[in-house]
Amino acid sequence: MSVNEKFSAIRKGLLEFLVLQIIAAEKVYVADILKQLSATQFATQEGTLYPLLSKMRREGLLDYEWKESEAGPPRKYYELTPKGREQLRETLEYWGEINGTVKKLGQK
Amino acid sequence: MNKVITINLGGNAYPLEEGGYDALRAYLETAAAQLHGNPDRDEILSDIEGAIGEKFRALLASHKTVVETREVNAVLAEMGPIEADPGKTADPAAGVAGASGKSSRTGAAGAEPATGHGGPPRRLYRIHEGAMIAGVCNGIAAHMNIDPTLVRLAFVLLTIFWGTGLLVYVVMAIVVPEARSPEEKAAASGDPSTAQEFIRRAKAGYYEAMKGFPDRKARREWKRRFKREMRANADQWRYNWHSYWTEHAPLHPGMGFTLPVLSMLHGAATVLWICALISLLATGTVLGLALPANVPTWVAALLLFIAYGIIAGPLKVARRACYWGSGRPGWTWPVVFLLDALVWLAVAAALLWLGVHFFPELRDAVHSIPALVHQAANDVQTWWNEKK
Repeated sequence: MSVNEKFSAIRKGLLEFLVLQIIAAEKVYVADILKQLSATQFATQEGTLYPLLSKMRREGLLDYEWKESEAGPPRKYYELTPKGREQLRETLEYWGEINGTVKKLGQK
Repeated sequence: MNKVITINLGGNAYPLEEGGYDALRAYLETAAAQLHGNPDRDEILSDIEGAIGEKFRALLASHKTVVETREVNAVLAEMGPIEADPGKTADPAAGVAGASGKSSRTGAAGAEPATGHGGPPRRLYRIHEGAMIAGVCNGIAAHMNIDPTLVRLAFVLLTIFWGTGLLVYVVMAIVVPEARSPEEKAAASGDPSTAQEFIRRAKAGYYEAMKGFPDRKARREWKRRFKREMRANADQWRYNWHSYWTEHAPLHPGMGFTLPVLSMLHGAATVLWICALISLLATGTVLGLALPANVPTWVAALLLFIAYGIIAGPLKVARRACYWGSGRPGWTWPVVFLLDALVWLAVAAALLWLGVHFFPELRDAVHSIPALVHQAANDVQTWWNEKK
């Protein structure tokens, strides 16, 4: 089993965290999110992202508004709610702790 | 040579090769099955369809009008398989979350179309279908998702009491655009323009589960609860209103005396107002007072409405205070009401009689009413005939 395969579960779990971070920076629509992720280890597809976004919206982490696009039908632009920002802050903190633990353990 | 099938994704038509159509259909069916039980299933599916549509659009050009099977497969591979509920397996509290999600789902399902989430942006249009005059009320009703009759009633009441309803209506009839294209009509009521698409899907049996929607009972229960709450609110409001006036009514039990006096004043104000209005329309003067030269008649009429509102408003409130102040609802109430109504009528009749007898202008005005009505009817008739 390659490292890549082994960590697929971790990547999946972290995806929500990364999506929060992307949306926190600016209002984005799904293609923007996919593009930003595509260059990373977290490259994903619409089939994964849409259900994730709708779950996050149901949890009150984000919201969207319809915006006209210059070509084609209106698009959903996502943005974070205060609850989403709070969650992002907490996750960042927790992530820092995990990082510290990873570096510290096993060192003499 | 391949057969081409045209499909509708997100309100746009895309011609696909038959093989591509089958692949897309299989993909969407799998997606629907994967999302079974997900409260946002329809929304996710329409998002997915929209995304596929955008990818198809990028493939088409003026000299290339059909999406090939190969291309459909590439697009579907790019979309990737639908992940049922990310985080569900990783979350130990998934059972709890699922349960709470389900109970809130009826509320969300009922409220979503009203708030306009899940649909394209909503705009205010005039809607001609089923309109009475210019479709203003119809458009507002569709925009706010309420019964057009209520909106019409509100306009009529505004016109009667403050005279503003008519003005607002005329302005809106001029300013608000009319919904002409199907997209505009859809935007007027906030329905997604893919509504036909949903109907098609329902017919094709895409959403088998929709028929046996497990929350039908829960939805009905939600509706019932909503109604009950509204009723409780109305009762509460009525109660508050009543207890407020029994406590704060400016004058206490001797209402039997105050009420008729207030009623007299109110009646006098109303009669005066009606007389002024009639004389204005008939002779162009307000009870014998000529208007300043640069004030058009309709402005004067509007001012009269407002003046009446200012004078009659406090009187009305005071009378209501007397009703509420006359104690708890009981056998005395009908008597109080009846007495009051009689006094009101008597005062109104007396004043009208006095007015007609002592002010020649008013008498002339009253006498000219039948002629005026006749003339107006004639005008309408000629206009109608000319139109035909």
